[in-house]
Amino acid sequence: MEETIKQHYPEKEKNEIFNNEFLPHISSMYNFGYRLTLDRDDAKDLVQDTYLKAYRFIESFQKGTNAKAWLFRILKNSFINDYRKKTKEPSKVDYQEVEAYYNSEDVDRQITPDLRVESLKDMIGDEISNALNSLDVDFRTVIILCDLEGFKYEEMAKILDIPIGTVRSRLHRARNLLKEKLSEYAKSMGYKNTEL
Amino acid sequence: MSKLYNPFILSDGNKPSCMQMLQLILDGEASHEQEAYFKSHMDQCSPCFKSYSLDIKIKELLKTRCCGESAPTELIEQIKMQISQNATS
Repeated sequence: MEETIKQHYPEKEKNEIFNNEFLPHISSMYNFGYRLTLDRDDAKDLVQDTYLKAYRFIESFQKGTNAKAWLFRILKNSFINDYRKKTKEPSKVDYQEVEAYYNSEDVDRQITPDLRVESLKDMIGDEISNALNSLDVDFRTVIILCDLEGFKYEEMAKILDIPIGTVRSRLHRARNLLKEKLSEYAKSMGYKNTEL
Repeated sequence: MSKLYNPFILSDGNKPSCMQMLQLILDGEASHEQEAYFKSHMDQCSPCFKSYSLDIKIKELLKTRCCGESAPTELIEQIKMQISQNATS
């Protein structure tokens, strides 16, 4: 990413970069932190830690480049290295299996044929948010980056340190899992015959 | 016409599945040529059409229901304070 060339900024310029390029992303960062930790206090700690690191390593950032992706990458790394290690068990997802599935003939088989646009219209409460939060954190992350934050595949690959092909396959699987969860909600809300 | 040339076909000659094409369209990763091909493909492929409508709706709901909360103002203040303390120490 951008950190390969070391920059030299005077103190005043550092503060300008921090205030004008880093701080405008704080609400997106807070949302990302919250969606990863599912706890608002932990999200605050994670965001604060990320911004302090960003300031400390500001000379690794090239002014005017993609600050949001750079900050998201630091937050993701802090989450994995500091937060998840302390609090959560490691990821249980078998990505080889995911990749094999994505590249197989089965990929066109509709896993969730029983979800319709109509049934989504009644989900006016926390159903979508709860469905997202219920996913394994690695699947949740790709949906957050792509659908909530609008990152491109290439940016996601850099933030997550994975190849673009893996971004695609993980996103595909994540969306199917999300639809399965939404189908469960739809059924519980009374959509019995929800064939497409 | 659409059967003559498929811009989704990969350099190795493999044709991506409907779901793989749909994902590129949904995420704005397709070229204009691929978008045009997919639009005409959807006219003949009912599962693609239905999945497209559903996926667009889910994407829209995620954006409207799971974003929008502002970071607490005290968090911004704390960060600024920490940085100025670190700078003076």
